[in-house]
Amino acid sequence: MTTSIACRELLELLSGYLDGALPTDTTVAIESHLAGSDGCASVLEEFRRAIALTGRLREEQVPPAQRDLLLHTFRDWVAG
Amino acid sequence: MFVASDAVADECVQEAWLGVLQGIDRFEGRSSLRTWIFRILVNIAKTRGQRESRSVPFATLAGDDLDQPTWDPSSFDAGGHWTSLPFDWRGLPEDRVSGRETLAVIGRAIDTLPPMQAEVIRLRDVLGWSSDEVRNALDLTDTNQRVLLHRARVKVRAAVEDHLRSVTP
Repeated sequence: MTTSIACRELLELLSGYLDGALPTDTTVAIESHLAGSDGCASVLEEFRRAIALTGRLREEQVPPAQRDLLLHTFRDWVAG
Repeated sequence: MFVASDAVADECVQEAWLGVLQGIDRFEGRSSLRTWIFRILVNIAKTRGQRESRSVPFATLAGDDLDQPTWDPSSFDAGGHWTSLPFDWRGLPEDRVSGRETLAVIGRAIDTLPPMQAEVIRLRDVLGWSSDEVRNALDLTDTNQRVLLHRARVKVRAAVEDHLRSVTP
């Protein structure tokens, strides 16, 4: 007896699945779902590739603009 | 992330290094050294943030969309299955997918994330930290770490999809 999950639920679980952090029965349900859903299989593969691409950003490509955003956030907070 | 200005952040970093030098004898190796140092910094920044009453509402830092579905509900029928399949970019040429433009799109997508989502994806996927290291460093529960990371990744993947769709004839 296996639990079945819908596409919409599966998509919320992808990061947990990739971390191997989910209970065994959930992992089994995800794998059997992926075997039968091309849409979900393509999203998983794209998820993996997007993560790999993110890993190619250099460290300094991320923080500077982020600091601007933080300052912006804080300015909004002070103003609000 | 926890304090209001660069100047205060710089002071926190200096204070953290002092904390590291004073506490290095007590470091027991239960966590990795980088997590331990980061944790000292986070604690100092949080204390400073509280002292200066400049702490920022959690929703501003974490994002106010955490209880919303990550994917557009209109993509699914009542049973939660796809009504129209997402744009499939698996077959596109590698140089188009992995070019400098795509990396710039990802960088900009991370810039527009709520600060905690941006910080989690930066530590996990740019710097390659483990989920435990990020959880410990930012003082997050396992679930919160995963929710923040997942939201960030979904938005990054969507930005890549939009970009590739726009450059595909």
